[in-house]
Amino acid sequence: MTLAARTWGRMSLTARLTAILLPLAVLLAVGTVVGIVFILPPTMDFLGANMPLVRFVVAVVGILVLTIPTAFVLIYMELKVIARMNLRVGPNRIGPWGAAMSLFHGFKVLSKEDFAPTGADLTVFTLAPVVTFLASVMTLLVIPFAPGIFGQDLNIGVLYFFAMGGLAVLGLLMAGWASFNKYSLLGGLRSAAQIVSYEIPLTISVVGVVLLAGTMSMNGIVLSQSGSALDWFAFKQPLAVLIFFIAATAEANRTPFDMTEADSEIVAGFATEYSGMRFGFFFFAEYVNVFIISALLVTLFFGGWTAPINWPWPYNLNWLDAAGIGILWIPIALVALVVATDILGAAIWLIGGREWSAPSAFGLGLLIAGAGVTAAVGLACFIAFDWVQGIFWFFAKTYVFVFTFVWMRGTLPRVRVDQLMGFAWKWLLPASLLNLFVTAAAIIILNQPVIPR
Amino acid sequence: MPARPTRPTTRAARAETRGETRPQEPRPPEQHRSEDDPRIMLDRDVGADLYEPIPPYPTRTEREGEFYTRGDGEMFINIGPHHPATHGVLRLVLKLSGEQIVDVDPVLGYLHRGVEKICENSDYYHVIDQVDPLEYVSSLFQEWAAVLSFEKLMDVEVPRRAEYIRVLSGELLRVASHTLYMGFLALDLGGLTPILYSFIERDEIVEMLAALTGARMLFNYFRIGGVNGDLNHEFMSRLGDWMSRAARQTEANAGLLNENEIFVRRARGVGVLDRATALRFGVTGGNLRAAGVPFDIRRAHPYSIYPELDFNVPTRLEGDSLARYLIRVDEVRESIKIIDQCLHNMPDGPVMAKLPRLLRPRPGRAWGACEGPRGMLGVYTISDGSDQPFRFRIHDPSFLNLETVPTLLPGNLLADTMTIVASLDPVLGGIDK
Amino acid sequence: MDRTLKRRLEARLGTQIQGPIRQRHDQTEIRIQPGDVPDVLRTLHDSVDFRFEILADLAGVDTGESMQVVYHLWSETSPDWLRIIVDGISREDPRCPSATFLWTGAEWLEREAYDMFGIVFEGNRDLRRIFMPPDYTSFPLRKDFLLPDDAARSPGEGVRHVERPYAPAVVADDPAAGVRRAPAS
Repeated sequence: MTLAARTWGRMSLTARLTAILLPLAVLLAVGTVVGIVFILPPTMDFLGANMPLVRFVVAVVGILVLTIPTAFVLIYMELKVIARMNLRVGPNRIGPWGAAMSLFHGFKVLSKEDFAPTGADLTVFTLAPVVTFLASVMTLLVIPFAPGIFGQDLNIGVLYFFAMGGLAVLGLLMAGWASFNKYSLLGGLRSAAQIVSYEIPLTISVVGVVLLAGTMSMNGIVLSQSGSALDWFAFKQPLAVLIFFIAATAEANRTPFDMTEADSEIVAGFATEYSGMRFGFFFFAEYVNVFIISALLVTLFFGGWTAPINWPWPYNLNWLDAAGIGILWIPIALVALVVATDILGAAIWLIGGREWSAPSAFGLGLLIAGAGVTAAVGLACFIAFDWVQGIFWFFAKTYVFVFTFVWMRGTLPRVRVDQLMGFAWKWLLPASLLNLFVTAAAIIILNQPVIPR
Repeated sequence: MPARPTRPTTRAARAETRGETRPQEPRPPEQHRSEDDPRIMLDRDVGADLYEPIPPYPTRTEREGEFYTRGDGEMFINIGPHHPATHGVLRLVLKLSGEQIVDVDPVLGYLHRGVEKICENSDYYHVIDQVDPLEYVSSLFQEWAAVLSFEKLMDVEVPRRAEYIRVLSGELLRVASHTLYMGFLALDLGGLTPILYSFIERDEIVEMLAALTGARMLFNYFRIGGVNGDLNHEFMSRLGDWMSRAARQTEANAGLLNENEIFVRRARGVGVLDRATALRFGVTGGNLRAAGVPFDIRRAHPYSIYPELDFNVPTRLEGDSLARYLIRVDEVRESIKIIDQCLHNMPDGPVMAKLPRLLRPRPGRAWGACEGPRGMLGVYTISDGSDQPFRFRIHDPSFLNLETVPTLLPGNLLADTMTIVASLDPVLGGIDK
Repeated sequence: MDRTLKRRLEARLGTQIQGPIRQRHDQTEIRIQPGDVPDVLRTLHDSVDFRFEILADLAGVDTGESMQVVYHLWSETSPDWLRIIVDGISREDPRCPSATFLWTGAEWLEREAYDMFGIVFEGNRDLRRIFMPPDYTSFPLRKDFLLPDDAARSPGEGVRHVERPYAPAVVADDPAAGVRRAPAS
């Protein structure tokens, strides 16, 4: 029994809190000062000297972070949209209209037991979801979300995309093999056969676009479609769009081509033995995949981030550059203000109760004002910044296709394995080759210069 | 302030300071440690073979031995008894070569409750209650078969109004069952939506029957010599509402699948059950009619008021899964016709014959059969003069329909298992009795 | 009641029918010996004036003194159900010829009768238990079956049910070994 312990035992709660927090606060203050004075300048120098590295790290982190809300939104969308198509209500308990459902799905998979079956190949079993997830997410690196907002503008962006996308099958195959379960094995093998078959028409259908654009850089392809909707490659390559859409559905293992996890046949395919966050990774990867193929469809054929009509805005103010962090503080400060107001208003409104009273009216007023200011700021940003516009159009178009995939899931039954493979080899492959030849011939006959713009 | 005395940390130490000692309980002898029991297999002894569905006992029959001998490149896969697409607790052991099915061994009995034995130990009134949960999708028909058999045994005359009510409620339930069948067939092919559209119709019918009988699934409504209660206002108003849209709605629901190219391609030509095979297997109901045999007990061996009603027995010649599905669609139309006629011709009168409280039929035998949604439901009763049936035999159509699975599956792909099993429409409650 | 069916049956089957042909309501009932089963069934199924093509049911019955196998047949040539009772099968060693040579579907029905009564159908190539577990030793629908002491005789007695092996204690294809006797009283 030491003196310190005895003293601690006699202290009141407030005293204990003070005793913990005060040294911490002092330490924090000192640390901040030391950091600003001694550590920050050399760090900034280092970062400034290695801008590409910084950009890469930021892009990778940003994309990893982006997948979380994307998957949440998609899962919620799928639950809700299919529910409406099935004449159900869908999730409606957690959050407004059940909007927090997928968030709590996330908590659920995190809190579940991480189970591996007896006889499983543990190393491969553990690695499989990681491989699948990373292979999906890393393809996002080359997709341009808006002018200036992309991970890397690779000059072989399309090639990189298909290479990484093809890697995803490895994860599924690993999962199928390592699970020590015949359903998993069948699922993994099905996915291998399916993805390998559909990769070919998928890639060949894009070659036409590459020929037209004259570049394999995603950014270049988007730029060559700029103008109005009539410049989109969808209108120059209608067959390719169809082939790409079908093959991409198969690539992402979506209904009607979800052979790998056909729940009425092989339970859950490669994911049968997975639980907890390992399953969560597969689940995430599936929905991120839907987003990615929609994004790619938009990028390659529907003009990417360009507006569908020849948009007179933005007033591209040169000093408002996305890369210059300085101006970002203005919208961030405004948004922070609005968010603070909203939180305050919501708190007051909730405390005020459901009956009309002065506090609740005041809180509601604050909320409405916050929403108004948000809308005004958003509109201003939309007009002022081309990257805000780009992001808007990109996501608007992408979610149209995401909705289409969800719609298909709610509508179509599943095809059989032999029909699936037969369709790929007997119809899609010849059609994509035909498309390629016609495109190449047209380019030569019309004597269009194959030059990047 | 004096220093606090230190507290002993462990529970045992604390008990010691209080002067208590915990009595040392003798450990119970371990009777069944799995390590010592020679009858118990452990994971480490068996290894990978533990997860094979091969039974560890010596094969009992020639056929079993033949099935569980693996050829080159073949593997066993176990579907069920817990699987998303086996209707209930059916277990199918498939022998696969790649994805192609080589052979099938269905394993039954996971839902066996010994209903025949229970019925032999309950009196004639209770039997109707006991047979209800057998065909839980359309339990009125199972009651009907039992009641028909008992009525023949006891020479009971059923009032005409009761017969009309039986036909009316039975045909309603047939529509509900067929609607559900369409939905589940689509679900097994991977379509999520039709099942929920089916459930709208089924729920409406089931609620309607709940207003009539008091229960949604296990009705316990038919009685020896009539039915439990007369038609009531709620039932009639619900029925009127439903009839005003029934034909249109069922057509619309059928259109969800009939016009779906993927569905049609997956069902056409899959699991062809030809006429001769169907007869050899004793298949009845829509599955037999899809093979071109117009055998419908309502016409082949009429009971109740069916001879007076105007309806067709739809048949098809293909005998594949699509034909079996389309037969059901046609039967729904015919059932709606019958319901319409029942409502127009419903006579007045009592709904129950006069019967004693305790039934002691003369010794004898009687066989009663009726046409359920899945085929012929039969009941064979032997009476020994007491108030309990001496032998109560239940014949369920799903049992024989399912027996064709080992014939239909080989040569097809794994995915066709679900198409074929779902298109045969087995209900495991009836199969396992 | 179909009087013509009675006459036709008498004319065709003659001495193979044991006792009188009974008719009641819509049912005609004949009794035959176990040895005559293949002959009678084949005649009824194949000959053009009977054509009993549909096997409606196959049931085992334990009368207490002997075992019976009961067939119900349907034909478009007659408005009656035809019931064939195979009588006089011994309870000690119940054996009956199989009907699978005519109706493949009888296979499972016979398996069920075997499972419930222990009747061995000679010629059925897959005669094993269908509802009860493979290590089960009793025949539940027999009249001398007693429920309470059945569980105590199971080889899995005392073992947690999930760990119970599938090792039959009695060789399953010998029905006499597993037959339960009524307690002597």
